[in-house]
Amino acid sequence: MKTELVILCVDDEPGVLDAVVRDLAPFESGFRVEAANSAAEARALVAGLPARHRALALVLCDHRMPDETGTDFLIALNRDAATKPARKVLLTAQAGHEDTIRALNLGGLDHYIAKPWTPEALRAVVREQLTSYVLERQLDPLPYLALLDTARLTEALGRRNPGDE
Amino acid sequence: MNAMRRTVVLLAGLGLFLLPQFLPLEGLSAAGALTLGLFLAAGLFWVFEPIPIYATSLLVIGAQLLFLSKDAPLVAAFSFPYPAQEAVASSRFMGTLAHPILILFLGGFMLAEAASKYGVEKGLTRMMLAPFGRKPSHVLLGLMLATATLSAFMSNTATTAMMITVIAPIIAVLAPEDRFRVALALAIPTAANLGGMATPIGTPPNAVALGALASQGTLIPFSTWMALAVPLTVVSLALAWWLLLKLYPAREKEIALDLTGRFDRSRPALLLYAVGGLTVVLWLTEALHGVPSTLTAFIPIALLPALGVIGKKEIRNLSWEVLWLVGGGISLGNSLQDTGLANWMINLVNWGSLGPVAILSGFTILSILLANFLSHTVTTALLVPIAISLGTSGVLGGAGSVAFIAIGVALASSFGMSLPISTPPNAIAIATGMVTTPQMARVGVVMAVAGFFITLLAALFFWPLILSQ
Repeated sequence: MKTELVILCVDDEPGVLDAVVRDLAPFESGFRVEAANSAAEARALVAGLPARHRALALVLCDHRMPDETGTDFLIALNRDAATKPARKVLLTAQAGHEDTIRALNLGGLDHYIAKPWTPEALRAVVREQLTSYVLERQLDPLPYLALLDTARLTEALGRRNPGDE
Repeated sequence: MNAMRRTVVLLAGLGLFLLPQFLPLEGLSAAGALTLGLFLAAGLFWVFEPIPIYATSLLVIGAQLLFLSKDAPLVAAFSFPYPAQEAVASSRFMGTLAHPILILFLGGFMLAEAASKYGVEKGLTRMMLAPFGRKPSHVLLGLMLATATLSAFMSNTATTAMMITVIAPIIAVLAPEDRFRVALALAIPTAANLGGMATPIGTPPNAVALGALASQGTLIPFSTWMALAVPLTVVSLALAWWLLLKLYPAREKEIALDLTGRFDRSRPALLLYAVGGLTVVLWLTEALHGVPSTLTAFIPIALLPALGVIGKKEIRNLSWEVLWLVGGGISLGNSLQDTGLANWMINLVNWGSLGPVAILSGFTILSILLANFLSHTVTTALLVPIAISLGTSGVLGGAGSVAFIAIGVALASSFGMSLPISTPPNAIAIATGMVTTPQMARVGVVMAVAGFFITLLAALFFWPLILSQ
């Protein structure tokens, strides 16, 4: 069975979370977009993915949340072999210097988006990060060609030279 | 493929392999019956792909070693099912993995890999497109010629992937309702498929036909293949160009190409130009100097790693599985001839009553039809051994008929391009979302019908002018 790739959005403010999910709607034809209100909820969601033949491809996470910060959540994800390959993005207004450095060094942070964001910029980051995920995991690029960075994916296709002509 | 279906196909393959061993097949030797079982099972696996097609090829060679060689355990120890003297040396089977035609391909692969490492194909594309200006119909023609030229020397798939990145920015600036987008997106895989016909190293089916012919003692020089095939490429490209413009005309008066990509001037890149240039020139002039193209292919194989132009990484990147896929096809074809199976199969049908034109037409149609659903290489591997035996049996009559039917089958397979599954370049074009399956099928079906007539007419009237053995 084909593994479905998941984009996980985590933010404690429902309004913000809805906006992020809305902005990512164009990706829904190829990915499953999931939303969580807290790190705990996100963690439970992630734990349930393998049984459903799903894999975490990208996390878009707020930093400041009541119980556990986004940075700590990313660090936890990065320590787990199953979720280490997922691309990790902080989407925040309030991560300090210290936290950002920790997210970078320990959380495997791939990108930092400062609030407020524009939908186009957000989608561009998501597109690039998901493309990197598909390439790094050496997944078949064909299903993602139209949705993600066509140039990078086709170049990989050409390099891999699938010669079953 | 789900596990259930895979198991069924695998078991059916085993059954097909065993079946001829228990049937009273008059006139067929024990080795012939084993080969028949192998042919049926391999055919089933190549068609339904319970395992990758290259894996089937390797399995074929493994089975030949196990059942058909002098060293096969049963043959060597018990002279079962036939005496060891009648069996062939195992090197006959292992050797196909280093068949001269595969060496020719390896040379081509190494040049293409090195070219992509130094961005040569991007520079060449820019150079080829520059003279075509900005008029949409001219740009389309330029794109198709550049694609076909590159894919004559590189894999069709790699060429398509590269050229899609060239057209993506053009398509992005065209209005969504501009139908010229479809013309651009279809031009690339179509031209890549057609360009593959042009040289022996253009696409693996060519290797299957050349390998089988070489096993029969018929060696086709590189330049002769091009003389036979390039006119077919040119005519079908012209047709495809006209068709695309007709079906999907441009709205804009001008379109701009972003032609970036300079030639690398570093030392290894310059060495590559020298080695690649020398190799290609020697290939193209084979008829003049007589050095076999398979030997020339060893120039890049020997020199590119020695000069540090390519390293371990690039060598690992080569499509070894394609070489093995072709090798297995050649090896199976050899056994079909060696064991007399091919002749036995041919004698089942009274071909004499059909006449040469009907037989040629039949094989061409079969090749185009199968190639729409199967890998082109597999199509060729299944049809060429039988086609060649027909040629040698004399029912086709005429000089060069063996070569014509084998080359015809190989070239016709390149016209199989009406579906996304027909061939990887099509799969890539569909996956970009720039073109739909019905749009692809429209053009593909026309090309298939045209391909039949083009190939047949060439085999009947044009090739005899060039090849008269």
